[in-house]
Amino acid sequence: MKTFARKCLSLCAGFGMSLIAAGSVAAADLKVGALYPFSGGLALLGNESYRGLELAVEERNAAGGINGQKIALVKADAVDANQAVGEARRLTSVEGVSAIFGSYSSALAFAATQVTELAGVPYFELGAVSDSVTGRGYKYVFRSNPTAKNFAEGMVDAVTHVIAPALKVDPKSLKIAIIHEDSLYGTTISGFQKEKAARDGLNVVEILPYSAKTVDLSSLILRLKGAKADVVMQTSYQNDTILFFNQAKAAGFKPKALIGAGGGYSMADTATALGETLNGAFNVDFTQYETREEGAPGLKSFVALYTKRYGTAPRSGHSLTNYVGAKAFLDVLAAAGSTDKDKIRGAVMAYKKPVGSTASGWGFEFGEDGQNRQAKANLMQWQNGKLVTVFPKEVAVSEPVVGR
Amino acid sequence: MDIFLQLIVNGLLLGGAYAIISIGLTLIFGVVRVVNFAHGELLMIGMYAVFLASQQLGWHPYVSAIPVALMLFVTGAVIQRFVIQPLLKADPHIQIFATVGVSTALLNLGLLIFGADVRQISPGFGAESFQLGELSIVSGQLVTFLMAIALVGGLHVFLQRTYVGRAFRAVSQHRYAASLMGVNVDRMYVYAFGLGAACVGLAAALLSTQYPVFPTVGSYFTLTAFVVVVLGGMGSLYGALIGALLIGLVDSLAGYYISPDLKEVVYFVIFILILVVRPTGLLGLGRGSE
Repeated sequence: MKTFARKCLSLCAGFGMSLIAAGSVAAADLKVGALYPFSGGLALLGNESYRGLELAVEERNAAGGINGQKIALVKADAVDANQAVGEARRLTSVEGVSAIFGSYSSALAFAATQVTELAGVPYFELGAVSDSVTGRGYKYVFRSNPTAKNFAEGMVDAVTHVIAPALKVDPKSLKIAIIHEDSLYGTTISGFQKEKAARDGLNVVEILPYSAKTVDLSSLILRLKGAKADVVMQTSYQNDTILFFNQAKAAGFKPKALIGAGGGYSMADTATALGETLNGAFNVDFTQYETREEGAPGLKSFVALYTKRYGTAPRSGHSLTNYVGAKAFLDVLAAAGSTDKDKIRGAVMAYKKPVGSTASGWGFEFGEDGQNRQAKANLMQWQNGKLVTVFPKEVAVSEPVVGR
Repeated sequence: MDIFLQLIVNGLLLGGAYAIISIGLTLIFGVVRVVNFAHGELLMIGMYAVFLASQQLGWHPYVSAIPVALMLFVTGAVIQRFVIQPLLKADPHIQIFATVGVSTALLNLGLLIFGADVRQISPGFGAESFQLGELSIVSGQLVTFLMAIALVGGLHVFLQRTYVGRAFRAVSQHRYAASLMGVNVDRMYVYAFGLGAACVGLAAALLSTQYPVFPTVGSYFTLTAFVVVVLGGMGSLYGALIGALLIGLVDSLAGYYISPDLKEVVYFVIFILILVVRPTGLLGLGRGSE
């Protein structure tokens, strides 16, 4: 009964929305869906992600739209997987959109793509990182951003290409420890790290999972100390990052390098809470704003555009990531010259851009699974309270500092 | 061997932190016979108060311990007077729902006012560590440990020697009989809840030197606090202290010798085994004392 009432409600809401949309949208407009968490716990970063898409669409419309058609964004609020399914259904069947952009969260992307794939509507993912979003054999799901695997490999590459050369030692001689919180996030990334480290012949001495809700990591730190770990890779949220740094400092454990996988390592609050202690820590993440313009042309103008439109500087890298992905997929829609799903897939496969040609420094080249192969996560380091890009060279604004 | 000693020390010190949180919980349970699910949120309020005092007034957390304890005494007394007292004659599960409601309300109030951000005080003394031979000890943890022991001792004297303390014990033994002896039961409950909450205020000040504060910080500690209280024997102060030290030791040793993600498994197995042998906890008064 309750679900029936809810269905009726969502149906009414759907009709209402479509009436409003029909009123304001001219007949020749190209309708695309924007599926993000606009309310609830993920709302802040969901909204930040959407702003990137919105800017790309507004820019495109100002330049004449797609083949003479203006693009009309239809917003859909997906707080959780259930709602993502409901909203994806509304977009595909009631609104009749030509494509859907989303979604910030992997859980939402999983749910929504199941609907869009069946409905035969192309789905463009601009921000979710779980590898399996594009790993399920779906034909019309495409993703512009790097995945969890790219993050993990970026962390291992940091050891081979940045840390070992800076210490002037053979990477194979460094003792590496992998520590991670034990939910899906940490387990996925550490799994890829383990594989990659084994492939590269690196010496992993400890792999230690822990609960993100723990209040004591002193035993774990003693294990790392006992194993004489030179490099520690941590996949963590905010609270466990702070706990680890505080307790490592108290126990006098100072590895030559610490590398984080976004999460707690990326947040400005972590830096505020830890102060000096965080300086020197490395972090792998989406492109941030302390990045060199030469390797990421258009970055400054994006920040200017954003600031002009919203009256504040970008709140995180999510808007940039979504902006770059959305621009590419709008190009694809233009190149396809049709809303036919197979023509769009053909245009995605044919779309190629070299690395270093977009505002986030990525290139574009899509694999058969729909995943962009030329998007990589960059290596950053906390230097004097700022998270600056240090690798690869093309986008680095500062030299990496190791072992000081 | 050095590592083993260090693990023992770490475990005991961690146990001190668990103890200081559990004392208030076991006191409230022992006297009022209410399982206070809002305990963690009281800790959160205390930690935010300590944080604000440090940020706005520049007070060291140890300085704000007394004012924050007083503030939480009032908070606890208000909760008892206006939430629990009207429900005293209702079923225990209704009282539990009431404290769960208070917990949810306080948690969301915290989110509303402070947001989900993590904030940390950098106090100097309390966060730094010193060397004792081969052992490394964090000063704040040692202070917490000593304070936990002092608090248990102090409360023991209070319960044995003062009128209010004796009244607490009378009420906990038999509410109706105590009222016949001229004890104002409702007032004693308000005092007891307030005192239990004040202990959490003290805990908040002590823990603020080592842990950051955020709205859900309570949930990081409360599950362990409940385990400690049940393990020690519900309502027993010494039981809570011993239970906390035991859990701390298991936490530390299992985290090193088994695996950091399995330490909870180990201590819950021990917890269950102890309850199988002694269903009323280590120092519980035996069947029927609840």
